[in-house]
Amino acid sequence: MKSYAKLSDIQADLRAGQITCRQLVAFYLEQIAATKHLNAYIEVYADEALQRAQSLDERYATDPASAGRLYGMVISIKDVICYKDHQVTGGSHILEGFTSLFSATAVERLLAEGAIIIGRTNCDEFAMGSTNETSYYGPTKNAADPSRIPGGSSGGAAVAVQAGTCLAALGSDTGGSVRQPAAFCGVIGLKPTYGRISRHGLLAYGSSFDQIGVFSHSIQDAALLLEIMAGADEYDSTAGRRPVPAYSQRLSFDRRARIAYLPEALEHPSLDPGVRQACLQFLEKLTGAGHIVEPVSFEWLDYIIPAYYVLTTAEASSNLARYDGIRYGYRSADAHNLEAAYRKSRSEGFGAEAKRRIMLGAFVLSAGYYDAYYAKAQQVRRLIRDTTLDILSKYDFIFMPTAPNVAWPLGETIDDPVAMYLADIFTVQANMAGIPAIALPAGNHPDNGLPIGVQLMGAPFEEEALLAFSKQIVP
Amino acid sequence: MSNSIYEQYETVIGLEVHVQLATRSKAFCGDDASFGGEPNTHVSAISLGHPGTLPRLNKQQAAYAVRLGLALGCRIDPASAFDRKNYFYADLPKGYQITQDRRPICVGGALPIKLGETWKEIRLHHIHMEEDAGKSIHDQDPRFSFIDLNRAGVPLLEVVTEPELRSAEEVDAFMSGMQQLVRYLGISDGNMEEGSMRCDCNVSVRRRGDTRLGERCEIKNLNSMRYARRAIAYEVKRQIDLIEAGGKVAQETLHFDPDTGVTSPLRSKEDAHDYRYFPEPDLPPVLLDKIFLDAQERALPALPWHLYVQFRNEYQLTDYDAGLLIEDRETAAYFQALCAQTPHKKAAANLIINKILPWRRETGAELADFPLTLPSLAAFLQLIDEGKVSNAIAYQRLLPALMENPSKAPLALAQELELIQTADTDLLGELADQVLAANPDKVAAYKKGKTGLMGFFMGEMMRLSKGQADPKTTTALLAEKLKV
Repeated sequence: MKSYAKLSDIQADLRAGQITCRQLVAFYLEQIAATKHLNAYIEVYADEALQRAQSLDERYATDPASAGRLYGMVISIKDVICYKDHQVTGGSHILEGFTSLFSATAVERLLAEGAIIIGRTNCDEFAMGSTNETSYYGPTKNAADPSRIPGGSSGGAAVAVQAGTCLAALGSDTGGSVRQPAAFCGVIGLKPTYGRISRHGLLAYGSSFDQIGVFSHSIQDAALLLEIMAGADEYDSTAGRRPVPAYSQRLSFDRRARIAYLPEALEHPSLDPGVRQACLQFLEKLTGAGHIVEPVSFEWLDYIIPAYYVLTTAEASSNLARYDGIRYGYRSADAHNLEAAYRKSRSEGFGAEAKRRIMLGAFVLSAGYYDAYYAKAQQVRRLIRDTTLDILSKYDFIFMPTAPNVAWPLGETIDDPVAMYLADIFTVQANMAGIPAIALPAGNHPDNGLPIGVQLMGAPFEEEALLAFSKQIVP
Repeated sequence: MSNSIYEQYETVIGLEVHVQLATRSKAFCGDDASFGGEPNTHVSAISLGHPGTLPRLNKQQAAYAVRLGLALGCRIDPASAFDRKNYFYADLPKGYQITQDRRPICVGGALPIKLGETWKEIRLHHIHMEEDAGKSIHDQDPRFSFIDLNRAGVPLLEVVTEPELRSAEEVDAFMSGMQQLVRYLGISDGNMEEGSMRCDCNVSVRRRGDTRLGERCEIKNLNSMRYARRAIAYEVKRQIDLIEAGGKVAQETLHFDPDTGVTSPLRSKEDAHDYRYFPEPDLPPVLLDKIFLDAQERALPALPWHLYVQFRNEYQLTDYDAGLLIEDRETAAYFQALCAQTPHKKAAANLIINKILPWRRETGAELADFPLTLPSLAAFLQLIDEGKVSNAIAYQRLLPALMENPSKAPLALAQELELIQTADTDLLGELADQVLAANPDKVAAYKKGKTGLMGFFMGEMMRLSKGQADPKTTTALLAEKLKV
């Protein structure tokens, strides 16, 4: 079977009777087996996916419409997204063996349209990491160069799409966890507006930043999946109530766009020259296509990462408190009282990065430090958001590199967490401001041939324009 | 130590009262919020704090909070917000409690408490919304503690007072007043035994005249008024003894053991939890619009302290009677409804207090189920007032008969049973002549000045008339006939 890049091609072949959904799933299962060494999946739902495909095929045969708009969509979900009666572990030892009692709203909505979930993908522990190396289940490897990281935290999801083991993947993006691995793996990565997709069923890391996102090879697929997952949800009070446009039907962008780029970003000392060159070429292409591209100064760039890590670790320290070994998940075998049960279960159950962030977060919230850290970081966030929204009131999009460099070798930052944190410098802004952003493939690095990604950010709930414009660039 | 030493000190108490709300579902999910149930049956993934679950606000909790706030004259924050209070405990599934720290829903206000015949206003600092924790059970197994999460997530309001209470009696009055109010509002059953109302007492002492507050100790989780009184008494004495012995009160959190009557430290200030409060990112601010606020205002019943004033001033009731009639909303409303049908307010109060409330106690029924309708009760009172039936006969004979035949009009039944008093002077004159003729010695004694015998003659008149003699007319008649 040939490798598909978009759902419309698959559905055309399904309609023409050239393939069945079951054959498609079988094909993807073969791809998964062939790329097992990349460690993209923690668990593959082989039998179940085949059965579901078969029953969808049967349904399609009697009534094509009843198979749903996602008939033929084979998708993977990051191991931080709940799927009823399936395990979800957040890439952590502490939840090993835990089975969810319910499905995430996003998953429910995809299933209702006929999507097939083929497995759950590897990720950094509780989405904390930029390399996929903090997973308890071992690192995922980049298909472009298996000696390198795929990025993170949704590294497994990115590789799953990159390696053709599924058509699309759900990830989560708290500070770039969809866009950065998408860039490193040469696929599209969409992070919608905060609250566009319900967080019900998404394991919380930084609750005021977290957002489910999509990996795909095509803008159409990203648009369709967003369209189906987005919208108000009674189980998530922070989910936006705005009506959801039919993104997949509105992908034409026929005006001149105004695009701001931040000189501070393009001149940033951490920016790799090869990535910078790709960015400049990308901007030239936009200018050449008649769009307005202008520099807009953004003086807060270097404050983004510190403020982000204060706020997300604060929220994480609280969000991860429930993993205590009392009601579910890992409990240390040699704990004989309550305090020891907490201490030992959490010490043994969490990995180093999760523990580091829990401690950081507990510290910045503690009496006497709150004002200096948490409160100050909140002010910085407000400033960054206001400034960003101000730019977006004058421009359609903000352009940024996705990451300052390309995928680096496995192990390089494992002992240098700050270096890893700084690699999020260009993606975090969108989460700080709660705006939608998309990582688009922008060719390969001149020296090592590794994928490079660029990024466009839009105004809140303006995914329609962001997707339509991206479609012009990545047809 | 002599009592005079203790009298040199003033007790200062601030309360944190937790009121469990009578909502159907929990504060942040649809689970059953009712008391009891088999352990861990009122739970879902949300109550259990499973990964991926989020809270959502129960609007009824906000409605109840606003009602209590409006009743107490608080300022209602139209955009209050939730915070997380972080601590680890086995019965706290999420590892944090959702509460309101920075922007509580109600600010200020006061509860009038009744101390004897006077009222004192206890000002409030604020009222906030939060969720309850589950229950840890440590005494059912030698090796294990059991956890029941039915209560986890049940909505609470915490009412925080200024340090304005001065004695255990005032604490008692405050808790009774709060219990009465939440029952009036129908927002909680106020049942302390089931834990629907609990309080933490912040107790300090200072020398009389001192304006600064002393160091306070917090006695946790007092779930009965009797315990609270004992705990406060013990704690006040402990603090004074400590100061008098040259020591200093240390800020501590205390536990009161009802078996020994002693408070003991749970943790000191140094060990105090650092709750790491921060804004709850999963819940947007609680935005209350005018429509919502107006609806809560309309849902407020007449409040007990307003009713008390009305009953005292308008209806001229005694403090005791007014106190009894405002005790619960049903009684007050019943009394008011009866008052709307009769001008005889005091008599109506007596009827309710002496007959109808005891009937309710005995039968366990509701006042609305009392066999006689309000118009019938009003007619009954009217018969007494007009002197058609004597007070004694009315209560002893007519009322029980009416309760047997509630559909009969009081006047008709009184006539049927020949209970109508007569003021017919001809008839009464005849009877009086009979009585006087039958008792010549007593008539002579009376005329010599033993006027106390009038009671005897009246008794005879009543006997002969089967109680129907109108007392006023009869007295006048007898006096006339006995004139020297």
